[in-house]
Amino acid sequence: MIKRATLIWMFLATAAGIGLFVLKYKVKSMEGQLAAIHGKTLENLEAVHVLKAEWSYLNQPARLEDLGRRLLNLEPVKATQTIDIEDIPFRPVGASNGAARNSSLTNVRPPAADQVPPLFAKIRRKQ
Amino acid sequence: MIGRHPFFPKKRRREPPVPARVETGRSRLLITGALFSAAFLVVTGRLIGVTMFVEKSQPQYSRTVGKAALKTGRANIVDRNGNLLATSLKTASLFANPRVMLDAREAVNKLAAVLPDLNSRLTYEKLTQDRSFIWLRRHLTPRQKYEVNKLGIPGLDFRDEERRVYPSAALASHILGHTDIDNRGLAGVERHFNQKLRESRTPLKLSIDIRVQHAMRKELAAAVREFRGIGAAGIVMDIRNGEVISIVSLPDFDPNRPSNIQPDTRFNRATLGVYEMGSTFKIFTTAMALDTGRISMRDGYDATHPIRIARFVIRDYHAKRRWLSVPEIFMYSSNIGSAKMALDVGIAGQRAFLQKVGILHPSPVEISEVGAPLIPPRWRKINAITISYGHGLSISPMQLVAGVGSMINGGIYHAPTFLKKPSGSKSIGRRVISAKTSDQIKRLFRLVVTKGTGSKAAADGYLVGGKTGTSEKVVGRHYKKKALISSFIGAFPMNAPRYVVFAMIDEPSGTKKTFSYATGGWVAAPVVGKVIARIGPLLGVRAIDEKAPEIVREMAIDIVTKKEGKRRLASF
Repeated sequence: MIKRATLIWMFLATAAGIGLFVLKYKVKSMEGQLAAIHGKTLENLEAVHVLKAEWSYLNQPARLEDLGRRLLNLEPVKATQTIDIEDIPFRPVGASNGAARNSSLTNVRPPAADQVPPLFAKIRRKQ
Repeated sequence: MIGRHPFFPKKRRREPPVPARVETGRSRLLITGALFSAAFLVVTGRLIGVTMFVEKSQPQYSRTVGKAALKTGRANIVDRNGNLLATSLKTASLFANPRVMLDAREAVNKLAAVLPDLNSRLTYEKLTQDRSFIWLRRHLTPRQKYEVNKLGIPGLDFRDEERRVYPSAALASHILGHTDIDNRGLAGVERHFNQKLRESRTPLKLSIDIRVQHAMRKELAAAVREFRGIGAAGIVMDIRNGEVISIVSLPDFDPNRPSNIQPDTRFNRATLGVYEMGSTFKIFTTAMALDTGRISMRDGYDATHPIRIARFVIRDYHAKRRWLSVPEIFMYSSNIGSAKMALDVGIAGQRAFLQKVGILHPSPVEISEVGAPLIPPRWRKINAITISYGHGLSISPMQLVAGVGSMINGGIYHAPTFLKKPSGSKSIGRRVISAKTSDQIKRLFRLVVTKGTGSKAAADGYLVGGKTGTSEKVVGRHYKKKALISSFIGAFPMNAPRYVVFAMIDEPSGTKKTFSYATGGWVAAPVVGKVIARIGPLLGVRAIDEKAPEIVREMAIDIVTKKEGKRRLASF
């Protein structure tokens, strides 16, 4: 006859075995998930890297200057257009600020959306 | 009753009395038990140790996945504001294993359809060799990779590689340099910092500002077009710490395509080219003479007659044929006056002074394309005379800019650098002239723009000062009459100089607009003026009213026009 203690021990050993088995598979699947997330992160980092390169490509001063000239109603600041902050008078009491609405800044057309930069366009269309 | 002990049968040689035998058995049992328990204890301890604590010697069976980080084979290069100048992007390179290739002929035909510029014959030869690895094409675009994959040819495979990309293309080509197909730096900072870029992942921060770089490049290119020059160079330097804000050499190249670079575009006129700088050297001559205390701003020299020495005649370009004071010599750029000034200081003094301001050594900037100055082997009287107005000694523009910086920043020489110094750090430098002399040179700089040869460099609000320089190019052993090096070295704002701006045009020809003059004052001075007007607001230089009384007082010079005669206060 098997003693009660033996039974308990057998039960505990089986439970531990099953527990370990389940845990192991759980860890394994989580590791898989982690690796997948890391892969995804790396992929995104790489994409960010490419985008940064593209960003600086699009921000070439020559290109910005050309775009600004063609699409904006602005021109380079001249030295005579700057004054010291101390020289700016306070707004007289009671004056409305409606005058600012008519500045040339509000009349700017948005840049054309169909302009695809040549060099990085092909990198972007990955597969 | 215990009979024969089953465990130790051999040991029973003598027959001790029974109680003693029992006693022995027990003690043996005890010792054995203790030994076994000790062994089990050790095993238990070890088990606990191994399972609970991590030892260094232990091999790692489990992967610990750390923070995902992008590894590139070469660190980025950024400008002083963090704009990307050079980076490495992942590309796929195509290789073949000819041993597992089934039909080389068919593979070549299929590949040629996807990669039109592939040399079919050469590729066929490659694919029929008995090797297991052969490159077919490096750095494919993602689209090309996809199309090659779609062909499904066995024996072709890709390897991930990196390619150096320069988003700003030719804008800073000479300073950045370029890399070869295996990402080794071949020129510029890419070469100088090759090891550092390979090992580190932190970006290399240059002192260059791409906005200033663009302004300089564009204005220089316009001047080269207008005056049909063969090249140009331009530099902007912060004279408080030697940081080079912009350095341009034209023509330049696109570092993204290293195999297409024309040999003549590689030449860096700003650091590698050495030229006789002409009258800009009078800055050094004047500062040297004033700093020795031998002459003052009120003294002068007789410039009535040309100097005859050996078989040379030293003449003035803008001859006044009279006695000239020091400010006049500078303003009218008198060769005769400068020569006499240098002779007053002496040959040894001149040499020591030029040594001090970095003229006799190659510029210490961080690229390998740095030219050594051409110094006369024997420094005689005639050399002292010609060097006083910038002939017979060739230096690179970078040397000139660093030297001139030390003349107007209060008298401290800072070695020029292409790396941004950490903010808050103070550049110590070394004193080369007194603060008083430096202040006088500042006034002379301004005088050249308000009254002298450099009036076209004026940029309203930025109080520009400077000095023109024109020299004939040396070809072989003679001067080439029609080939000039026209330059202008300017600084702003002259009441507290912060930046030196240098422009040089190589072999300009005059136009109708310049009355066919191609001198520094007509060709290079306008470039400096336009560049300053563009970069002044970018660099946060406060525009000032040039006619404000305190500014005029600060820049005023007593110009003596007659020897021991009446003085007249310059009123501007």
